[in-house]
This record gives sequence, structure tokens and C-alpha cells, in this order.
Amino acid sequence: MSDDALPADAAPPAPAQPPVAPVTPASTVRALSCPNCGGIVNVRAQGLTVSVLCEHCGSTLDATSPDLQVIARANEALKTPEIPLGTRGTLNGRVWEIVGYMERTDEEIGWAEYLLFNPYEGYAFLVDDGRRFSLGIMLDRLPTMGWGNAMQLDHQSFSRFGGTYPVRVTFVVGEFYWRVAVGETVDETDFVRPGTMLSCEVYQTERTWTRLDLFDWGVAEKAFGIPARRREYSHPAPHEPSPYKRQLREALVVGVVALLALFVVSGIGGREQVIGQTTTDAVLDGPEKTVVIRGLDLPSARSRVVVDADAGAIDNAWVDLDYSLTDEKTQDSVDSYGLAEHYSGSDSDGSWTEGDPRPEVSLSSIPGGKYDLVVTLSAHRWNGGSSSSSFSMPTGFAGGSVFGQDSGQTIPVTVTVKRGGVFGGNILLAFLLIAAWPLIVLFKQFGFEKRRMAPVSGSGGSDDDSGGDDD
Amino acid sequence: MLDANCPNCGAPIRFRSNDLPVKVCDYCRTSVLRTGGNLQAIGKIAEVPDDVSPLQLGVRGRDGAQGFELIGRVRWRYADGAWNEWLALFDDGSTGWVGESMGRYMMLREVDDDALAPVVVDHIKSGQPIAIDTLITIGGVDYAVADNKQVTCIASEGELPFNAPLGLTATSIDLMTPDGECASIQKDQGGEVEAYVGRYMSLAELNATGLRSFEGWPMPASAA
Repeated sequence: MSDDALPADAAPPAPAQPPVAPVTPASTVRALSCPNCGGIVNVRAQGLTVSVLCEHCGSTLDATSPDLQVIARANEALKTPEIPLGTRGTLNGRVWEIVGYMERTDEEIGWAEYLLFNPYEGYAFLVDDGRRFSLGIMLDRLPTMGWGNAMQLDHQSFSRFGGTYPVRVTFVVGEFYWRVAVGETVDETDFVRPGTMLSCEVYQTERTWTRLDLFDWGVAEKAFGIPARRREYSHPAPHEPSPYKRQLREALVVGVVALLALFVVSGIGGREQVIGQTTTDAVLDGPEKTVVIRGLDLPSARSRVVVDADAGAIDNAWVDLDYSLTDEKTQDSVDSYGLAEHYSGSDSDGSWTEGDPRPEVSLSSIPGGKYDLVVTLSAHRWNGGSSSSSFSMPTGFAGGSVFGQDSGQTIPVTVTVKRGGVFGGNILLAFLLIAAWPLIVLFKQFGFEKRRMAPVSGSGGSDDDSGGDDD
Repeated sequence: MLDANCPNCGAPIRFRSNDLPVKVCDYCRTSVLRTGGNLQAIGKIAEVPDDVSPLQLGVRGRDGAQGFELIGRVRWRYADGAWNEWLALFDDGSTGWVGESMGRYMMLREVDDDALAPVVVDHIKSGQPIAIDTLITIGGVDYAVADNKQVTCIASEGELPFNAPLGLTATSIDLMTPDGECASIQKDQGGEVEAYVGRYMSLAELNATGLRSFEGWPMPASAA
């Protein structure tokens, strides 16, 4: 009790009694009675408190007068704040006592502000927007102007959130260090960054800056013993950090890694390997011909098989190619079809060619094993329509060389079987699957930002904003 | 330093600084004016109403390298509240003020008369209004006006550089900079203008010890 010793050296020899040193610590609470209703009014910050609103009758009392003069008489049932006056709680390691409560509105939405007091720390605000709590500390220095409409404080940039708007007090109870009254309106301008808001309030000749830091879900509720709020993001606070931002970052990182892996896989798997080849002559307008490529080895559980046909010398003719890939063991077969064709000629627009003499056929997800490819070819000459009256060929028809040839002319056709290679479709599917999660989170993030900005991005809000920018 | 007795009640009174001619007697609350070796009772001072300020006479603290002790207080009132100005006597014999308002503290030192431009002094002396955000240069630093009010003395105690009876009036202008520096310009009843500069500091930053203890409130760790 070193405090007790302090005034002891001042013991006077004079008859006047020395002031008695307080043996017990002074109480910060002084119980007075309301001159209007007679109820007990606990003044918790004597000397600092300017206005007291009696919690029994709602009368406004002047705490700077010794006998609590009534400034505004009231006799109405009052609502009780969710956290009762006088409740103490520890926030960020500091004990605070609730001494005042008020509700304010910007005419669109309302919120509550608790005034917190600690005799050694002074005042702070606990702001409750109905979803989450923020701790407000009045700044003892001025933020500086940043780029554009931004404000700078402690090397952090805060972007302006909408225009300047009036804020009106709708309900008040408890004690305050300023003259508070229902209906009192201040002009507020907000600047935000995720997690923090700088709020500038101008009232008559006074301007105050308050820094509001958002609490994690449940922290303030736990500190003051009220039920925790339910997490939901339907109406985010202007300074609310997006819950999707971290998810988005994670999804992007995972997505980029997956994409890189996809590139590597498709690079390796994309290399095709020839496993069989044969060349045969197809007789034009001759009988069908069947060739078999045996012993096609597919070691992977699932492979892609590409069958290339090359009838490069073909002109004004086509070759039908029927493929049947048959498992030597099970005799299961996969059938497919290719068409090698090439036509040329000339008409009034000049010479023309059409058709693909090198068709490629892809078979996906072929189970591993030994296979035979049965190829059935039949080649046909295109008659150029010259025998048909309904089809008049240009006079300079260049296909004469073919016409002039005997039937029985052959066309060499080379069939090549390759394995491996990744389907473009599979790559695209994998890409979409990989992109899906980041995209979903991105849309969630956009939705959140849209809702967060909703109070100022509406037509009215943006008008206000552009109006405010002019000055 | 001068030890003497109150001319009114005879209790011992101590003047610790030659620059502080006024002492409010701790026992009979008489304001005693010292001129040379002569003591003169110049009036009764109202007792400072109880408040929950953690500061009191005898609190020690430090501003940079310099230690100080709070030896006097003036309590001012304005239309919308009241605040304390505590006189700090530094170890080197100089003085400063710890302004205590709305639970916040400013450590302020008086600046030389030429720190304020004469045109500013004239403007303030004329009593013309000064808008908030007006920039005023004090000793080469630009301060923005944050507040401008008429104030009245409620009470005083301890040693003071001037007599501060109930009803003494003044004009008080509060100023701030982005760096947390602050200033106060006061025009006293006689029209004299003085400027003070300093900065906002917490009790921990002031290294304040000997604070009042309050029932049920833990003393901050910095004051132990």
C-alpha cells in the first residue's frame, strides 16, 4: 500500500485537519437519484461524464451540474441493451465497463454503439451492426490524404466507402462524455480496408476520427457474456474481410499446381507411339479387301488408340475404311469407320479441291491387352456426275486422267496404328474440373463484394458518391 | 524552493519553483500569492469536484529523458464538458502541462512567444472565430485546428503559475497533426495568447506511477 504513504509527509502542525488519505481505493461508481423519477442512477465516470440518460425513465440529466439537473424529462418504458449497463468484459487484454448505449441510423440501416470505459484507458466504443462487433478507438492523430479518395494511417491505405451521409441517434441510455440527445445528427464519412474502418464524424465545430477494428466471430459476445452470433455473410459490413479471399487464394494455388500437373501429364501422355502399320492396295470399284494388323500391344490399363489412314494418291475417288479393334483374348471389339476421299475440278470460280485423303480416327479408353485391327477397305471412283443430267460438270473438268483409266486401278492405302496421346476433350474436361473450384470461389467472392458494396453501389449511392467527389 | 506557512490558516506550504507564484493551500483552500518573500492570501478556491481521473498530485512520470511530478491542477469547464490540466514540474525545474480530456492525455510544453506568427496572435486576440481544419504554424510545424471553445475555471489545487479561481475564463484552441503531435493555444482573461505544443500520450507512455487506485479496477501493469 505505497499509495497510502504519499500524503503522509504533509502532516500539518496547524489545527486544521489534514485530508484523510483514502485507505480503501475510491469507487468509480457514484449512485445518485434521478431528480425526475427518483430511481438510482449509477454514474460510472464521474468528472468525465457530461450526459446521463436515466435507465428508469429516460430523462436526460446534466452530469456537469452537482445535482443532476434535468435537461429533458421523459417518462417512457425503455428498451434494455443486449449487454446491460455496468457489464465488464476483457477485450484484447483490457477490462472495459459498459457505461452507455445508443442506437443510430443512416436512415437505411440501424446499429448499436456501446460506450466502454476504463479509468486508466479512457473510452472506447463497441459497435454492433447486428451481425458482428467492432472495437472503436478515437484517433489522437489525423489520417493523411492518400491516392484518389483514400486515406492513409500507419502506412495503411483506406479506400473511401461511399459519400458523406447523415447519422442520427434514435435511442440512448446511460452516460456519455458529450451532450447526447435523440435526433442529434452528425455527418459521417467512412474509409475502409478489410477488417478496419476509419470513420470521420463532423458535428458542428468538431471533427473526430475513429478507428474501428472488426472482432472475430464470437469474441465480443464471449467477453460480455451474450450468446454468440450466427456466422452469415448476407449483409457484410463495409470493412468486413471476405471469408472467400483465403479460399480463393488456396483454390488458385491448388488450381495452378493442378494445371501445371495437367500440362506435364498431357505432355508425357500426349506423345503418340506407332504400334502397327500396313500398306495395301485398294482396287477402285473393285471388291472389298480386308487386312489385319496383328499383335497391337496396349500395356496401359486404358489407352487411346489412333488409326491413321493415308490414301495420298487418291483423286476423285473415295475409300471406305471399316475398322474393328479386337481383343485377342476376349474377342471384344470396338468398331469405327474412316473415309479417305479427295475430289478436285474447276468451275467458274476457278479450280477446287475437297476431301481429306488422310482420315484419323481416335478410339478412347481402350482396355489394356493384345489387339488385332481388322481393316476392311473398299475404293470407289467418283463419277463426277457426268452421266447424270441433273449434275452438270464444268467444261474444263480436270478429272479426265481418272476417267481415262481402266477399272482395276489400285490406290495404295497405308494404315498406321498409334497408341497414347491425350484427347483434347479429356484435357478440356480436366481443365474445367480444375477450374471449377476457383471459379465457384471467385463467384462467391464477387457476390460477397457486391453485397458489401451494395449500400454505396446502388443508383442512389453512386449519385451521392459522384456528388461528393466534386468538392 | 520556499517553505512557509499559509497566511490564512498557518499550515505549512511549499513553493518548489520560483516560476510558480501561486499555491492553493492544501488545508484551507486559500490561494496564496508569493511576491518575492511576501505571501498574500488572494481568495478561496473551490475544492476540485471528485472525478475518476487516475492522476493526482504527486504522480510521477517521464517525458523522454526528463522525469516530472504533478504539482498542480486546474479544472476547466466548457459548454459540453470539463477537463483537467495538470502542472508537471520537471527534474530540471522547467514546467509543462498534462492535459486530461475524455480519458486521453496530452503532454504539452509552452513555446516561445515568437513561435506564433503575429498575424495569428492578432487574429486570436481579436476574438474572431477560427474554423476547424484551419492550419496554424507553431514553431515551423503546421497544426490543424480540431476544436475551439470558451472555457471557465471550476477549481484548482497545488502550485500554479497563475491564480485560477472559480469563474476565470479563457479561450482554448486544440490543434493536431497527422503525426500525433498536438498543440493548444490559450487566450487568457487579460487577452494574452500562449501556445503549447506536445503530443498525445497514454499513461503507459508517460510512465506514470503513483496513480490513484480504484475499487475493482486492476492497476495497469505499466504503473506498478
